[in-house]
Amino acid sequence: MSVLFYIGALLIVIGGICDLFGALGLLKFPNFYVRLHAATVGTIGGAVVPLFGVALLALGADFLPHRYAIAGASFITGIIVLLAAPAGAHALAYAAHKAKLVEWKPKVDHLKEVRE
Amino acid sequence: MKRWIALIFLLIAVIMLAYIFQVPQPENIKPLGEFYLENSYFGDYSAKSPEVVTSILWDYRGIDTLFETAVFFLAIIGSLTIFRLTKEQEKEVKKEPTQVESLPLPIRTVTKVIVVMILAVSASIALHGHLTPGGGFQGGSALAVAPLLIIAAYSKYALEEHGLDKTRALILRSIGLLGIALVALVPLLSGGFIMQNQPIFPAEIGGQLISGSLIYYNLFEFLAVGAGFTAVFLLLSIPEEKFKKILGVKK
Repeated sequence: MSVLFYIGALLIVIGGICDLFGALGLLKFPNFYVRLHAATVGTIGGAVVPLFGVALLALGADFLPHRYAIAGASFITGIIVLLAAPAGAHALAYAAHKAKLVEWKPKVDHLKEVRE
Repeated sequence: MKRWIALIFLLIAVIMLAYIFQVPQPENIKPLGEFYLENSYFGDYSAKSPEVVTSILWDYRGIDTLFETAVFFLAIIGSLTIFRLTKEQEKEVKKEPTQVESLPLPIRTVTKVIVVMILAVSASIALHGHLTPGGGFQGGSALAVAPLLIIAAYSKYALEEHGLDKTRALILRSIGLLGIALVALVPLLSGGFIMQNQPIFPAEIGGQLISGSLIYYNLFEFLAVGAGFTAVFLLLSIPEEKFKKILGVKK
Protein backbone atom coordinates (compact mmCIF):
# COMPACT_ATOMS: atom_id res chain seq x y z
CA MET A 1 0.00 0.00 0.00
CA SER A 2 1.68 3.15 -1.18
CA VAL A 3 0.80 6.80 -0.80
CA LEU A 4 -0.89 6.69 -4.22
CA PHE A 5 -3.45 4.23 -2.86
CA TYR A 6 -4.51 6.61 -0.09
CA ILE A 7 -4.56 9.68 -2.35
CA GLY A 8 -6.73 7.74 -4.81
CA ALA A 9 -9.13 6.65 -2.07
CA LEU A 10 -9.35 10.25 -0.85
CA LEU A 11 -10.19 11.46 -4.37
CA ILE A 12 -12.97 8.86 -4.63
CA VAL A 13 -14.43 10.09 -1.32
CA ILE A 14 -14.25 13.69 -2.56
CA GLY A 15 -16.07 12.52 -5.69
CA GLY A 16 -18.84 11.02 -3.59
CA ILE A 17 -19.26 14.27 -1.64
CA CYS A 18 -19.35 16.27 -4.91
CA ASP A 19 -22.06 13.93 -6.26
CA LEU A 20 -24.12 14.45 -3.10
CA PHE A 21 -23.80 18.25 -3.32
CA GLY A 22 -24.60 18.13 -7.04
CA ALA A 23 -27.78 16.13 -6.37
CA LEU A 24 -28.84 18.45 -3.54
CA GLY A 25 -28.22 21.49 -5.75
CA LEU A 26 -30.20 19.98 -8.60
CA LEU A 27 -33.17 19.58 -6.26
CA LYS A 28 -32.93 22.85 -4.37
CA PHE A 29 -31.52 25.53 -6.70
CA PRO A 30 -34.03 28.07 -8.05
CA ASN A 31 -33.53 28.26 -11.82
CA PHE A 32 -32.12 26.44 -14.81
CA TYR A 33 -28.70 28.07 -14.98
CA VAL A 34 -27.82 27.54 -11.33
CA ARG A 35 -29.11 24.00 -11.52
CA LEU A 36 -26.89 23.46 -14.54
CA HIS A 37 -23.99 24.55 -12.37
CA ALA A 38 -24.98 21.92 -9.80
CA ALA A 39 -25.20 19.26 -12.51
CA THR A 40 -21.71 20.17 -13.71
CA VAL A 41 -20.42 19.87 -10.15
CA GLY A 42 -21.89 16.37 -10.30
CA THR A 43 -20.11 15.46 -13.54
CA ILE A 44 -16.72 17.09 -13.02
CA GLY A 45 -16.39 16.64 -9.26
CA GLY A 46 -18.42 13.45 -9.12
CA ALA A 47 -17.12 11.62 -12.19
CA VAL A 48 -13.76 13.05 -13.26
CA VAL A 49 -12.18 13.33 -9.80
CA PRO A 50 -13.11 9.76 -8.74
CA LEU A 51 -11.92 8.43 -12.11
CA PHE A 52 -8.52 10.01 -11.51
CA GLY A 53 -8.77 8.60 -8.00
CA VAL A 54 -9.37 5.09 -9.39
CA ALA A 55 -6.34 5.52 -11.65
CA LEU A 56 -4.09 6.47 -8.72
CA LEU A 57 -5.59 3.75 -6.52
CA ALA A 58 -4.96 1.10 -9.16
CA LEU A 59 -1.37 2.30 -9.59
CA GLY A 60 -0.84 2.11 -5.84
CA ALA A 61 -2.42 -1.33 -5.35
CA ASP A 62 0.37 -3.88 -5.80
CA PHE A 63 -1.94 -6.89 -5.39
CA LEU A 64 -4.23 -5.90 -8.27
CA PRO A 65 -3.88 -7.80 -11.57
CA HIS A 66 -3.84 -5.64 -14.75
CA ARG A 67 -3.46 -2.52 -12.66
CA TYR A 68 -1.76 -0.50 -15.40
CA ALA A 69 -4.63 -1.24 -17.81
CA ILE A 70 -7.20 -0.18 -15.22
CA ALA A 71 -5.27 3.00 -14.40
CA GLY A 72 -4.84 3.92 -18.08
CA ALA A 73 -8.49 3.31 -18.95
CA SER A 74 -9.72 5.35 -15.96
CA PHE A 75 -7.35 8.20 -16.72
CA ILE A 76 -8.38 8.39 -20.39
CA THR A 77 -12.08 8.19 -19.51
CA GLY A 78 -11.57 10.98 -16.97
CA ILE A 79 -9.93 13.20 -19.57
CA ILE A 80 -12.73 12.56 -22.08
CA VAL A 81 -15.41 13.44 -19.50
CA LEU A 82 -13.37 16.49 -18.51
CA LEU A 83 -13.48 17.62 -22.15
CA ALA A 84 -17.07 16.72 -22.94
CA ALA A 85 -18.95 17.79 -19.81
CA PRO A 86 -18.18 21.54 -19.98
CA ALA A 87 -18.95 21.57 -23.71
CA GLY A 88 -22.31 19.91 -23.07
CA ALA A 89 -23.18 22.31 -20.24
CA HIS A 90 -22.10 25.24 -22.43
CA ALA A 91 -24.35 24.05 -25.26
CA LEU A 92 -27.32 23.65 -22.91
CA ALA A 93 -26.87 27.11 -21.38
CA TYR A 94 -26.39 28.69 -24.81
CA ALA A 95 -29.52 27.03 -26.17
CA ALA A 96 -31.63 28.04 -23.17
CA HIS A 97 -30.35 31.62 -23.37
CA LYS A 98 -30.99 31.83 -27.11
CA ALA A 99 -34.46 30.33 -26.95
CA LYS A 100 -35.39 32.70 -24.08
CA LEU A 101 -36.99 29.83 -22.26
CA VAL A 102 -35.69 30.70 -18.83
CA GLU A 103 -36.62 33.85 -17.00
CA TRP A 104 -33.76 35.38 -15.08
CA LYS A 105 -32.51 38.61 -13.61
CA PRO A 106 -28.83 38.85 -14.44
CA LYS A 107 -26.33 41.28 -13.00
CA VAL A 108 -24.01 40.89 -16.01
CA ASP A 109 -25.11 39.57 -19.42
CA HIS A 110 -22.10 38.76 -21.59
CA LEU A 111 -24.26 36.94 -24.13
CA LYS A 112 -26.49 39.94 -24.77
CA GLU A 113 -25.79 40.06 -28.50
CA VAL A 114 -26.95 36.45 -28.87
CA ARG A 115 -30.49 37.37 -27.93
CA GLU A 116 -30.92 39.95 -30.64
CA MET B 1 -48.10 7.29 3.96
CA LYS B 2 -50.19 4.92 1.84
CA ARG B 3 -47.54 4.98 -0.86
CA TRP B 4 -44.88 4.05 1.66
CA ILE B 5 -46.91 1.05 2.81
CA ALA B 6 -47.35 -0.07 -0.79
CA LEU B 7 -43.62 0.37 -1.46
CA ILE B 8 -42.60 -1.61 1.63
CA PHE B 9 -45.13 -4.33 0.77
CA LEU B 10 -43.72 -4.54 -2.77
CA LEU B 11 -40.15 -4.75 -1.49
CA ILE B 12 -41.02 -7.52 0.95
CA ALA B 13 -42.91 -9.39 -1.77
CA VAL B 14 -39.94 -9.18 -4.16
CA ILE B 15 -37.49 -10.37 -1.52
CA MET B 16 -39.80 -13.22 -0.45
CA LEU B 17 -40.29 -14.33 -4.07
CA ALA B 18 -36.56 -14.20 -4.71
CA TYR B 19 -36.01 -16.28 -1.55
CA ILE B 20 -38.63 -18.87 -2.45
CA PHE B 21 -37.83 -19.25 -6.15
CA GLN B 22 -34.08 -19.58 -5.92
CA VAL B 23 -32.39 -20.30 -9.20
CA PRO B 24 -30.91 -23.79 -8.93
CA GLN B 25 -27.13 -23.78 -9.01
CA PRO B 26 -25.84 -25.77 -11.98
CA GLU B 27 -23.73 -28.68 -10.83
CA ASN B 28 -22.23 -29.44 -14.21
CA ILE B 29 -22.26 -27.97 -17.72
CA LYS B 30 -25.31 -28.87 -19.78
CA PRO B 31 -24.61 -31.12 -22.80
CA LEU B 32 -25.49 -28.39 -25.32
CA GLY B 33 -23.22 -25.86 -23.62
CA GLU B 34 -20.44 -28.42 -23.52
CA PHE B 35 -20.85 -29.07 -27.24
CA TYR B 36 -20.71 -25.36 -28.03
CA LEU B 37 -17.65 -24.81 -25.84
CA GLU B 38 -15.77 -27.76 -27.30
CA ASN B 39 -16.60 -27.04 -30.91
CA SER B 40 -16.55 -23.26 -31.05
CA TYR B 41 -13.12 -22.76 -29.56
CA PHE B 42 -11.19 -26.03 -29.37
CA GLY B 43 -12.60 -28.09 -32.22
CA ASP B 44 -11.02 -28.68 -35.62
CA TYR B 45 -13.87 -26.88 -37.37
CA SER B 46 -13.92 -23.90 -35.03
CA ALA B 47 -13.11 -20.28 -35.73
CA LYS B 48 -10.59 -20.28 -32.86
CA SER B 49 -12.28 -17.17 -31.52
CA PRO B 50 -11.83 -16.60 -27.79
CA GLU B 51 -15.09 -14.63 -27.89
CA VAL B 52 -17.29 -17.72 -28.09
CA VAL B 53 -20.54 -15.73 -28.10
CA THR B 54 -19.69 -14.12 -31.43
CA SER B 55 -18.67 -17.48 -32.79
CA ILE B 56 -21.97 -19.10 -31.77
CA LEU B 57 -23.96 -16.11 -32.99
CA TRP B 58 -22.54 -16.10 -36.51
CA ASP B 59 -21.86 -19.80 -37.00
CA TYR B 60 -24.22 -21.98 -35.01
CA ARG B 61 -27.09 -19.50 -35.06
CA GLY B 62 -26.10 -17.71 -38.26
CA ILE B 63 -29.50 -17.73 -39.93
CA ASP B 64 -31.07 -16.28 -36.79
CA THR B 65 -28.53 -13.44 -36.78
CA LEU B 66 -28.99 -12.89 -40.49
CA PHE B 67 -32.71 -12.35 -39.99
CA GLU B 68 -32.09 -10.09 -37.00
CA THR B 69 -29.93 -7.97 -39.29
CA ALA B 70 -32.69 -8.08 -41.88
CA VAL B 71 -35.17 -6.70 -39.34
CA PHE B 72 -32.88 -3.74 -38.71
CA PHE B 73 -32.54 -3.10 -42.44
CA LEU B 74 -36.29 -3.26 -42.91
CA ALA B 75 -36.64 -0.61 -40.21
CA ILE B 76 -34.12 1.62 -42.03
CA ILE B 77 -35.86 1.02 -45.37
CA GLY B 78 -39.19 1.88 -43.75
CA SER B 79 -37.94 5.23 -42.48
CA LEU B 80 -36.34 6.00 -45.84
CA THR B 81 -39.67 5.27 -47.51
CA ILE B 82 -41.54 7.60 -45.18
CA PHE B 83 -39.12 10.44 -45.97
CA ARG B 84 -38.85 9.75 -49.71
CA LEU B 85 -38.43 12.84 -51.91
CA THR B 86 -38.24 13.59 -55.61
CA LYS B 87 -35.02 14.85 -57.20
CA GLU B 88 -36.04 18.52 -57.05
CA GLN B 89 -37.14 18.17 -53.47
CA GLU B 90 -33.80 16.53 -52.60
CA LYS B 91 -32.04 19.54 -54.10
CA GLU B 92 -34.28 21.90 -52.16
CA VAL B 93 -33.53 20.05 -48.94
CA LYS B 94 -29.79 20.13 -49.59
CA LYS B 95 -29.73 23.87 -50.34
CA GLU B 96 -28.06 25.62 -47.45
CA PRO B 97 -29.94 28.58 -45.98
CA THR B 98 -28.08 31.88 -46.30
CA GLN B 99 -27.13 32.13 -42.67
CA VAL B 100 -26.51 29.02 -40.67
CA GLU B 101 -26.02 29.62 -36.99
CA SER B 102 -23.76 27.21 -35.23
CA LEU B 103 -22.89 26.71 -31.62
CA PRO B 104 -20.08 28.66 -29.91
CA LEU B 105 -16.42 27.85 -30.56
CA PRO B 106 -15.62 25.72 -27.48
CA ILE B 107 -18.42 23.28 -28.28
CA ARG B 108 -17.32 22.94 -31.89
CA THR B 109 -13.68 22.37 -30.93
CA VAL B 110 -14.54 19.71 -28.36
CA THR B 111 -16.87 18.05 -30.87
CA LYS B 112 -14.00 17.72 -33.35
CA VAL B 113 -11.82 15.97 -30.77
CA ILE B 114 -14.63 13.72 -29.54
CA VAL B 115 -15.67 12.74 -33.08
CA VAL B 116 -12.16 11.52 -33.88
CA MET B 117 -12.13 9.53 -30.63
CA ILE B 118 -15.54 8.01 -31.40
CA LEU B 119 -14.37 6.91 -34.85
CA ALA B 120 -11.30 5.21 -33.36
CA VAL B 121 -13.24 3.52 -30.55
CA SER B 122 -16.03 2.30 -32.83
CA ALA B 123 -13.54 0.81 -35.30
CA SER B 124 -11.79 -0.88 -32.40
CA ILE B 125 -15.06 -2.33 -31.08
CA ALA B 126 -15.94 -3.72 -34.49
CA LEU B 127 -12.53 -5.07 -35.48
CA HIS B 128 -11.94 -6.66 -32.07
CA GLY B 129 -15.35 -8.32 -32.31
CA HIS B 130 -13.88 -11.82 -32.51
CA LEU B 131 -11.55 -11.24 -29.54
CA THR B 132 -13.50 -9.14 -27.05
CA PRO B 133 -17.18 -8.53 -26.30
CA GLY B 134 -18.74 -6.21 -28.84
CA GLY B 135 -18.82 -6.64 -32.58
CA GLY B 136 -20.22 -5.23 -35.75
CA PHE B 137 -23.59 -4.00 -34.55
CA GLN B 138 -22.22 -2.36 -31.41
CA GLY B 139 -19.34 -0.79 -33.32
CA GLY B 140 -21.70 0.48 -35.99
CA SER B 141 -24.02 2.01 -33.41
CA ALA B 142 -21.03 3.77 -31.84
CA LEU B 143 -19.92 4.94 -35.28
CA ALA B 144 -23.33 6.52 -35.93
CA VAL B 145 -22.86 8.81 -32.93
CA ALA B 146 -20.09 10.68 -34.76
CA PRO B 147 -22.26 12.12 -37.58
CA LEU B 148 -25.01 12.75 -35.02
CA LEU B 149 -22.63 14.91 -32.97
CA ILE B 150 -21.53 16.79 -36.09
CA ILE B 151 -25.18 17.44 -36.99
CA ALA B 152 -25.82 18.76 -33.49
CA ALA B 153 -22.73 20.96 -33.19
CA TYR B 154 -22.46 22.23 -36.77
CA SER B 155 -25.37 21.36 -39.03
CA LYS B 156 -26.48 18.74 -41.48
CA TYR B 157 -25.14 20.94 -44.28
CA ALA B 158 -21.60 20.70 -42.88
CA LEU B 159 -21.82 16.93 -43.21
CA GLU B 160 -23.20 17.10 -46.74
CA GLU B 161 -20.59 19.63 -47.88
CA HIS B 162 -17.85 17.23 -46.85
CA GLY B 163 -19.29 14.47 -48.96
CA LEU B 164 -21.40 12.37 -46.61
CA ASP B 165 -24.90 12.82 -47.96
CA LYS B 166 -27.83 10.42 -47.88
CA THR B 167 -26.98 8.73 -51.17
CA ARG B 168 -23.42 7.96 -50.12
CA ALA B 169 -24.61 6.62 -46.77
CA LEU B 170 -27.06 4.36 -48.60
CA ILE B 171 -24.30 3.13 -50.93
CA LEU B 172 -22.06 2.31 -47.95
CA ARG B 173 -24.94 0.51 -46.29
CA SER B 174 -25.61 -1.52 -49.44
CA ILE B 175 -21.92 -2.45 -49.66
CA GLY B 176 -22.11 -3.73 -46.09
CA LEU B 177 -25.26 -5.76 -46.78
CA LEU B 178 -23.77 -7.20 -49.95
CA GLY B 179 -20.62 -8.14 -48.08
CA ILE B 180 -22.57 -10.00 -45.42
CA ALA B 181 -24.57 -11.89 -48.06
CA LEU B 182 -21.44 -12.81 -50.04
CA VAL B 183 -19.53 -14.01 -46.97
CA ALA B 184 -22.57 -16.09 -46.02
CA LEU B 185 -22.80 -17.65 -49.50
CA VAL B 186 -19.09 -18.31 -50.17
CA PRO B 187 -19.02 -21.67 -48.28
CA LEU B 188 -21.70 -23.02 -50.64
CA LEU B 189 -19.24 -22.77 -53.54
CA SER B 190 -16.69 -25.06 -51.92
CA GLY B 191 -19.14 -27.70 -50.83
CA GLY B 192 -19.98 -26.42 -47.37
CA PHE B 193 -23.22 -25.22 -45.85
CA ILE B 194 -24.52 -21.66 -45.79
CA MET B 195 -22.76 -19.46 -43.19
CA GLN B 196 -20.30 -22.21 -42.29
CA ASN B 197 -17.04 -20.88 -40.94
CA GLN B 198 -14.21 -23.40 -40.95
CA PRO B 199 -12.26 -24.68 -42.77
CA ILE B 200 -13.25 -22.47 -45.70
CA PHE B 201 -12.01 -19.23 -44.17
CA PRO B 202 -8.53 -19.27 -42.60
CA ALA B 203 -8.44 -18.77 -38.84
CA GLU B 204 -5.14 -16.91 -38.96
CA ILE B 205 -3.45 -14.74 -41.56
CA GLY B 206 0.21 -13.98 -41.03
CA GLY B 207 0.10 -15.10 -37.42
CA GLN B 208 -2.77 -12.77 -36.61
CA LEU B 209 -5.94 -14.41 -35.34
CA ILE B 210 -8.82 -13.24 -37.51
CA SER B 211 -11.21 -16.11 -36.70
CA GLY B 212 -12.32 -17.04 -40.19
CA SER B 213 -15.45 -15.32 -41.38
CA LEU B 214 -16.15 -13.55 -38.08
CA ILE B 215 -13.96 -10.54 -38.87
CA TYR B 216 -15.60 -10.11 -42.29
CA TYR B 217 -19.06 -10.31 -40.79
CA ASN B 218 -18.12 -7.78 -38.12
CA LEU B 219 -16.54 -5.40 -40.62
CA PHE B 220 -19.49 -5.43 -43.02
CA GLU B 221 -22.05 -5.21 -40.23
CA PHE B 222 -20.10 -2.24 -38.83
CA LEU B 223 -20.29 -0.49 -42.18
CA ALA B 224 -23.93 -1.33 -42.78
CA VAL B 225 -25.23 -0.35 -39.34
CA GLY B 226 -23.17 2.86 -39.11
CA ALA B 227 -24.17 4.03 -42.58
CA GLY B 228 -27.82 3.03 -42.11
CA PHE B 229 -28.13 5.03 -38.91
CA THR B 230 -26.34 7.97 -40.55
CA ALA B 231 -28.83 7.99 -43.43
CA VAL B 232 -31.75 8.08 -40.99
CA PHE B 233 -30.13 10.84 -38.90
CA LEU B 234 -29.56 12.92 -42.05
CA LEU B 235 -33.25 12.55 -42.92
CA LEU B 236 -34.38 13.41 -39.41
CA SER B 237 -32.26 16.58 -39.36
CA ILE B 238 -34.03 18.13 -42.35
CA PRO B 239 -35.53 21.39 -41.03
CA GLU B 240 -39.27 21.32 -40.46
CA GLU B 241 -39.88 24.45 -42.54
CA LYS B 242 -38.47 22.77 -45.62
CA PHE B 243 -40.75 19.80 -45.22
CA LYS B 244 -43.71 22.11 -44.71
CA LYS B 245 -42.74 23.93 -47.88
CA ILE B 246 -42.44 20.67 -49.80
CA LEU B 247 -45.73 19.33 -48.51
CA GLY B 248 -47.46 22.66 -49.12
CA VAL B 249 -48.65 23.09 -45.57
CA LYS B 250 -50.32 26.46 -45.02
CA LYS B 251 -49.51 28.24 -41.82
